[in-house]
This record gives sequence, C-alpha cells and structure tokens, in this order.
Amino acid sequence: MLRRLCLVLLLLLAACSKGPGADLQYIGQARSLAAEWALVNEQADKGRVTATYVASMHRWLRRNLKTAASSLTQPDSRYGAEIRTLLAEPDDAAPDELRIHADRLKQIEDRLESA
Amino acid sequence: MNPLELTLGIMTAVGGFVDISELVFAAKAGSMFSYALIWVFVLGTIGMSVFGEMSGRVAAIAKQPVFNLMRHRLGLNLGLLTLAGSLISTLITCAAEVGGMALILNYLTGLPYMLLAVISVAALMASMWVLPFKWIERTYGLLGLMMIVFAVALVAIHPPWAKLAGGVLPQVPAGLSSKELLTFSYFIVAILSAVLFPYESYFYSSGGIEEGWGPKDLLTNRITCTVGFGFGSLLAISILATSAQLFGPINVGPELPGTSALEAAMPLAKPGLLLALLGMLFAVAGAAVETCMSNAYAVAQFFGWEWGRHVKPWEAPRFTIAWIAVMLLALLIVLTGVDVLSLVEYAVLFSIVVLPLTYLPLMLLANDKSYMKQHANKWLAKSLGWLFFIIVTAAAIAAIPLYLLTSGGQA
Repeated sequence: MLRRLCLVLLLLLAACSKGPGADLQYIGQARSLAAEWALVNEQADKGRVTATYVASMHRWLRRNLKTAASSLTQPDSRYGAEIRTLLAEPDDAAPDELRIHADRLKQIEDRLESA
Repeated sequence: MNPLELTLGIMTAVGGFVDISELVFAAKAGSMFSYALIWVFVLGTIGMSVFGEMSGRVAAIAKQPVFNLMRHRLGLNLGLLTLAGSLISTLITCAAEVGGMALILNYLTGLPYMLLAVISVAALMASMWVLPFKWIERTYGLLGLMMIVFAVALVAIHPPWAKLAGGVLPQVPAGLSSKELLTFSYFIVAILSAVLFPYESYFYSSGGIEEGWGPKDLLTNRITCTVGFGFGSLLAISILATSAQLFGPINVGPELPGTSALEAAMPLAKPGLLLALLGMLFAVAGAAVETCMSNAYAVAQFFGWEWGRHVKPWEAPRFTIAWIAVMLLALLIVLTGVDVLSLVEYAVLFSIVVLPLTYLPLMLLANDKSYMKQHANKWLAKSLGWLFFIIVTAAAIAAIPLYLLTSGGQA
C-alpha cells in the first residue's frame, strides 16, 4: 500500500516536472502523428481517400506536430531533433520514410518509460 | 404503442448514441489496449439504459424534469452548485461537439476551420429555431445512422471474433506496468464518463415532457433505452475493435478525430470514408444540439421559467435566449483556437465529477412511491441504480487524480 502511494506521489511529481519524463506525452503524440501521417499517405497512394481529406489531414498533422515540438521542455534532445526532422518531411513523403520516424520515436518512448 | 414511432425512436437513439468523446476514446482505447476495454462500453451502456429509462419514467409519471427535481431534492445551495457544475461541463462538451463538427467539415470541404465553426453554429441554430423537438432529435439521429459504416468495416476486416467477444468480460490486461495500469484506469473513467454524459438524461427526460409522455409511453421508453442505446453502443464498440485491429499494430493512437474515418476507408475505400465522415458529422451535430438545449433546459427548469420547443421561440423568451447564449459561448470557446481533443478531455473530466449529483435526485424520486405510485423503481431498477451510483461516485473521485497522473491518458 505504502509502495503504491509512493509511486503515485512520484508520478504526480513527474507530471509537474521538466525533462524527458515530462516530455513523454509529447513524444507519444509525435509518434502517433507520424504513424497517422504514414497511414494517410499510404491510403492516398492506394486511392482510398479523397484529395481534400488528405490535404486537410496534412495541415492538422503538421499543426499538432508543431504544438508537440513547442511543448517539449528539452527541445535540443534527441527526440526534439527527431520531431524536427519529421516536420521537415514533405506532405507527400513516402509512408515507409514516415514509419521510420514513428519507429524511432517509439524506441525513444520505450527507453524513457523503462528508465 | 405505435410501431413506426417506436422504430424511429430506436433508430434515433442508435444514430444519436456516439458523440465526439466516444469517437475519440473508443479509437484510442482500441489502439492502446486492444479489446480489453470493450466491457467498459458495455457497463456504461447498461448504466445509461438504467438512468435513461428512469429519467424517462419520471418524466412520464411525475412530469418532473431533472433540474426541477434537483432543486427540490438537493436544496437551493447544493442544487445551485450542481447546476453550475453541469452548465460548465455541458458547455465544454457543446464546444467540443461544435469544434468536432468544424473539423469534420474541414476534412470534407477543405474550407477554413474557423469559418466552418461559424457556419456550423449558424446551421445548428437555424435548425433549432425552425424544427419542433421531435424533428430536431430525429433529423440528426437518423442521419447519424451513417455511422453504421463502422460496423460494416469491422465485419469486412474479419476480426478475431472470439477474442473480441472476450473483451465483454471485465478484465485488466496482464503484464501492464504501473504507468500503463494508471492509463488503463484513466480510460475506464473517461469511457464511463463519455457514455454516461449527464446531458443525455437531461435532454431525454426533457424531451419526454416536451412530447407529453404518460403511462402509455413507458414500454416505448423502456425499449428505446435498452434496444436503442444497446445498438448505439455497438457502433462505439465497432470503432474500438476496428482501431484495435488496424491502428494498434502500427503505433497509431489516433491524435486526430479524422484518423478514425480511415477505419472505414481502409476496407471500403472512398465510399467508406465519406459515409464515416458524414455519419460522424451528423452524430456530432446531434450531440451539439443536445448539449446546447440541455443547458437551456437545466437553467429554465431550475429557475422555473417557461421552457420547451413545443412552444414558439418567442413564447419562451428566457429559454430561447439561454440556448442561443450557450451556442454562442460554445462558438467563442472554439474560436479561441483551443484544440478539440483538449476540449474532449475537459468535457469527460468535468462531466464525471458532476454525474453522481445528477443521478442521485433522479434515483430518489424514481424510488419514491408517493410520486411514482405503482411505477416506482422495483428491486431490479433500485439495485442497478445504486450499483451505478456507487460506480460513478468512485469514478468521480478517481477522475482528477488519474487525469493528472497520466497527463490525460497520454503518459
């Protein structure tokens, strides 16, 4: 019981702190956005979605990625650099290329979570 | 009991069941925890059926809307506190629905988001001004039935049905870390809140009074609440299950509501995408109307003003001003540029906190034989009512700590 209480308090502290722990949520968001971007482009290549939908999704994906990047407490970290590289990709980037970014962010996320 | 009316009522309940919060949380829950959270939708739907049926029965027999009861049962001070909490949570929910509408229209047309928010609100207000209550409810509910495309998509991708059915049983996935366990708990609370939104019972019971329900309508009320909400819940479960199958394995934990439409596009191509987006649009628009009118009902009923859409807008001026003000405030919130997903998070958080105070007076009146006579709660309704009251109270207590600990389910 006491151990669980300590864990909860530690997590509460982490939620209010700075650094990789506090950035985890933004890394997770960026990872998902990269994977969503890849999926949208993949479906566009297969002709399963409309051009208007694709253009609109690109705008929102980019906007949310920018928000995630600007929310980082450590923008000069490895994950900060990865999100910037992702943002530099063109809208119609190859799905596989985008998935590589998603995978890299996932690896960083997993490493930070287990630390 | 008119079979046509009953069928339309059930179909309206199905099409109007899913809103932006359920859409968001179902897709996220499926991608993060596969089928392990299906039982929460089932549990929430049973709770919604119990309280929905109770609120409809109270409306039909005691002719009492929820906020009138609240003032009498909770007293003025606690009643006012509950009213304020409900107004805030429902206003945020309304803003989330309006923002969701503008977002979906943006996916469909490519026009600027802010402009679409203004157009959406103008269209919603026009429909609320012109249409009588029954047709406001039905128009959006029936058009929201296009969401059935998500169930068709689920069948088309051939999910592992046995595994999916296993999700109906309450469970916690094995091998979760402490952090994941907290996130899982947060999702339980958020899904319960999204399914049991208090505005649904305000709107439903007020609608019963608007339509002049009496004892003859009790069976229709019971069937609508059980069958209609049950089938509606299947749509939310379809979104969750398709997300588990298509998004989970590729690290997509939908951050944009528009990603959910891909669930239908992947197996059914462009027709699937368009039906999904249109279904989402009307379901969310219906929820925007319901939240807006619920707030106006709440204020008018609490202060004893003339209310309802059975009269002309100018015959209930304070009620009319109230719903116009709610819709304009929701628009203002959206125009600040706040993210729709953040609004959804706040909506579920505030709603679950006020939920116990909403359901307690309703349940007390439904138990009271002096008002309800032979239609008062019997042992089953009483037991389920208290069980769900305990569940929502526990969820209300856990909601804010879990939100902080998990950064709104992200950590």
